[in-house]
Amino acid sequence: MKMNRRTMLASSAAAVSVLGTPALLKAAPKDYVIAASLPMTGPFATAGQLVSPIFKMIEVITNANGGIGGVPIRTTVDDSGYVPQNALANYQRSLATEENLVYYFGDSTGFMKLVAPELKGDNATLMGSTSFASELANPAENPYQYLSGPTYQDQFDILLQNIKAQGGTTVAFIYSNTEFGRDPLETGRKKAEELGIKVVLEEATKPQGADIPTHVTKLAQSGAEYCIMHGYVSSVWPQLIGGAKQFGLPTKFMGTFWGMEKLIADKVTAQAGPFLDGYSGVMPYRYFYDNADAPRYQAYAAFAKKAFAGTPLENYLPTWALEGLCSIEIALDAMRTTVEADKPLTADNLAEAVANIKDWDSGGFFGPKVSMNHNKMGVGRVYSYSTETKLFTPTSDWLTT
Amino acid sequence: MGQILQYVINGLMSGAIYALIGVGIVSVYKATKVVNFAHGYLIMFGAYFYYTFSVIVPGMEIMPDWLASWQPEWLLAWKAGLPMFSPMAAVADWIANLPRIGLGLVGAMVCNTLLGLLIERVLMRPLMGQSTFAMIMITVGMISILSGAASLIWSADADFVPHISPNAPIRFTLFGTTIFLFGADLVNMIIALLLFAAIVAMVRFTTSGVAIRATAEDQSTAYSMGISVPKVFSGAWALASLTGAIAGAILATRNGISPSLGLFGFSVLAIVLMGGLDSYGGVLIASLVIGVIEALTQWKLGGDWAEVVPYVAVLIVILIRPHGLFGQKEVERI
Amino acid sequence: MITGNLKSTYAADEQVFDNRNKKLFFAACILFLVGLGLFANDYVILMACRMGLMLIAVVGLNVVVGYTGQMSLGHAAFVAVGAYTTVVFYHLVGPYFPAGIMTILAFAVAIAVSAFVGLIVGLPSLRVKGLYLAVATLAANFIVIFLIEQDLFKPWTGGMVGTDTPTPNLFGWELDTKREMYAMITTMAVLMLLFVQNLLRTRIGRAFIAIRDRDYSAEIMGISLLRYKLLSFAISAGYCGAAGALWAFFFARILPEQFELTLSLQLVAALIVGGMGRTMGPVFGVIIILLVPELIKLGFGGLTGGDASMGKYRAPLQEIAFGLLIIAFLMFEPLGLVAITDRILRAMNRWPFAR
Repeated sequence: MKMNRRTMLASSAAAVSVLGTPALLKAAPKDYVIAASLPMTGPFATAGQLVSPIFKMIEVITNANGGIGGVPIRTTVDDSGYVPQNALANYQRSLATEENLVYYFGDSTGFMKLVAPELKGDNATLMGSTSFASELANPAENPYQYLSGPTYQDQFDILLQNIKAQGGTTVAFIYSNTEFGRDPLETGRKKAEELGIKVVLEEATKPQGADIPTHVTKLAQSGAEYCIMHGYVSSVWPQLIGGAKQFGLPTKFMGTFWGMEKLIADKVTAQAGPFLDGYSGVMPYRYFYDNADAPRYQAYAAFAKKAFAGTPLENYLPTWALEGLCSIEIALDAMRTTVEADKPLTADNLAEAVANIKDWDSGGFFGPKVSMNHNKMGVGRVYSYSTETKLFTPTSDWLTT
Repeated sequence: MGQILQYVINGLMSGAIYALIGVGIVSVYKATKVVNFAHGYLIMFGAYFYYTFSVIVPGMEIMPDWLASWQPEWLLAWKAGLPMFSPMAAVADWIANLPRIGLGLVGAMVCNTLLGLLIERVLMRPLMGQSTFAMIMITVGMISILSGAASLIWSADADFVPHISPNAPIRFTLFGTTIFLFGADLVNMIIALLLFAAIVAMVRFTTSGVAIRATAEDQSTAYSMGISVPKVFSGAWALASLTGAIAGAILATRNGISPSLGLFGFSVLAIVLMGGLDSYGGVLIASLVIGVIEALTQWKLGGDWAEVVPYVAVLIVILIRPHGLFGQKEVERI
Repeated sequence: MITGNLKSTYAADEQVFDNRNKKLFFAACILFLVGLGLFANDYVILMACRMGLMLIAVVGLNVVVGYTGQMSLGHAAFVAVGAYTTVVFYHLVGPYFPAGIMTILAFAVAIAVSAFVGLIVGLPSLRVKGLYLAVATLAANFIVIFLIEQDLFKPWTGGMVGTDTPTPNLFGWELDTKREMYAMITTMAVLMLLFVQNLLRTRIGRAFIAIRDRDYSAEIMGISLLRYKLLSFAISAGYCGAAGALWAFFFARILPEQFELTLSLQLVAALIVGGMGRTMGPVFGVIIILLVPELIKLGFGGLTGGDASMGKYRAPLQEIAFGLLIIAFLMFEPLGLVAITDRILRAMNRWPFAR
């Protein structure tokens, strides 16, 4: 056959259509949807309300940089009231109404567990969450869910080792009576035994509105040198420390990620006095003010300065927001890798990309480069609060578990 | 031995607060035959009003500085010489907070009373003479409205409020164990018991008290004897919301302010039923007993067990004595 | 138009569908439900399933509250018992039976266990009524949830973190999509609604109503209060148990906190809004109670344009609307939506002569 211009054009068009059709069909999405449930009412409302604006922020920043392979992302935020069932309804609603739901941000351990068995076939979606529950870091059972930091159990390990290093021999666990609060107890108990630390008190409290005097007297009677508090966000833990300090108890208090927020510590100091001095705990990330080596933080700060002027987020993003941002950044990274590999953004492809994240430069969230290991990033640092500088400053190096 | 005493004292202290909450439920029931399922949420409003007038209002720009923190020369001088976290420092802190505590309490009592009167006028009075079911369910509906309204008005932020009395720690040794007490808790207990006694005395000895009792006995007879029953109704609701405001303020200082304060209403309702709906004495005894049992459960079995104590207790009591320990048996005629 | 019913036999008087309009209405409903299952989108199916689950529980509640006149604020406990029984039953005997009949077995066991728990919770009803019973059932609800959350039972219930639930399987047909579940739930809901309607024309149903109207009078007329009050609680709890079992099949995982007081109040609210002691009451009530929050959500999203900072006002508004619904119906239409539809139908019937 003689190749003239017309047949040449025709055959190349045919070739394009044969090879390119799937790509063309794939390229159809108008936008990728990132949806979230946040506890904007209920016991953890403070956190939910402070986290919700960051979704718009990440949307604007990502789209300004070309979105995901040229396709913009869109974020939607729903309130769950920290009720797993509401969050599940929100998720199912998003799944039924959004065409290209690529990532969902859940707001509690309860929700993540509630939704996990639903994530099958077409109903699967990549999911990050506010939770560091150990059960979620389980790629075999929950391939679509991941943690953007160490599990609560890892955090307990770090704290217990820290206590050991300081020569402590007795510890009290005070936790909220929720799945969140109970998560690391069992392994914490084991780890303490391993390290030769005696657990002298395990006390369950309500997640908010707890009967502080009774809990403090119990702590006092137990005579613990150290006390690890877990399962709280904005309340209970400061009151517990306040009560203990008023009694003059020598107990040293420690917290896990959700109890390490500077805004709360500052507020407590302003309203009730400097009793949080020396309070320490685990935080997987840098604090937002520590942004010298954190280009991502600088980008957020520039955005926040303009967009959040006049709100508490203007100059400082709380740790809770950082956690959400980190989780989304991981998802975005996975989306980019998947798009670059010319694969569609299905939950399976994304989960695979997330699981394969190696030596990821987080842009400042974590000090070292991190890898996704068992669907979690086991890196963290111990910080301690000073009421004079009103800052949490690191007292340990970056620890990997 | 000493340990048990510690928890008995803890229990008595929380029991006194239960009694103060319960008094509101009993008063409303005595006067209007309505059992207020939403009383806990009325208390939550009291707590939020206290927070508004002791934290938000003094923090406003237009308010004078002394309102937020009163710092006369002598106080500063005295405080400077005190070690941090000492009992006297707690007293000094309390003196500095006095103006806003006062404003908070007065504001809470006034606002909550108005709220109680509003509820009575709008929701309760039109339903006079309706079935128990309708009355109960109206108060159940009120739960949702009150808790929704609270989260609309106040950001659901858990916040701190100043203690009503100096929160100086008290510690002493008894039978070889150190007993720890919070000063504020002791004072709260005394406030609660005094208020309780005052209300009981009022119902027993004053004219309006007689009116309440007469209405409780028989509404239509009381009406025909020249007692203004609607006034008795609003009086009872005012009383309930007034004591609710103080109970709310106390709870807010003890447990921190949060929407979950409303849940206290349910356990106190169980306690009130246990004591007998129309018996002040019964409610006092039941409150203290449950308070102590709760504290002991807390000590031996942990916090989650303590939460069901009132419910188990009320079920047992109701099965044995259907109208509570000291309640009056209703005589039914066909 | 039907202006009257001519009945020439007692049997005709006792029919479940005693006139042509009712039959037509029922047929239309069935047709509508089938159509919904075939053509509605996922979101509608999801809502319909939730309504169906709740409907079964409210129909059960109606037996105790609407027909027997006993207060209950604790029916969520029976739903919990039903749901957890299903899961525990699968754990315990699942391996010994073929999967195909397990679902039906579990369903029956869940109903039986819930009915038994209902008997126990109904015991106070022999001693107390009205308010005392309301608090007793409320206390029972707290206690049941507390027991489920206990570490002691964790191997079976999963404790506070909940437990995964089995996939239903009818003789080899795995119902693993929401649409298949919709078929199962609506079928069950319709059947159970008819069963209650049938129950009411028997001796038992008449005894319930006699007790509601005046329990002591009923006793004097020879109706055993012990027997019928407890029977009423058992039937009612059995219904809630069925709802719970379907709940466990529908959702992939259950948590104890789903069955707390909030659910109990929702059930009662649905009954009040729809109309107590009437067949269609629960149906209307459930639709309203579940639809209003969704509408508020949609409307709210439209008004604020999805502004995240406004999101925190939505849940309080839904909560207030829920309370207002209860109060408004109690104050202005204590007989519920059914009374309103009755009035409309009557007016249509008599038009143009009278209103």
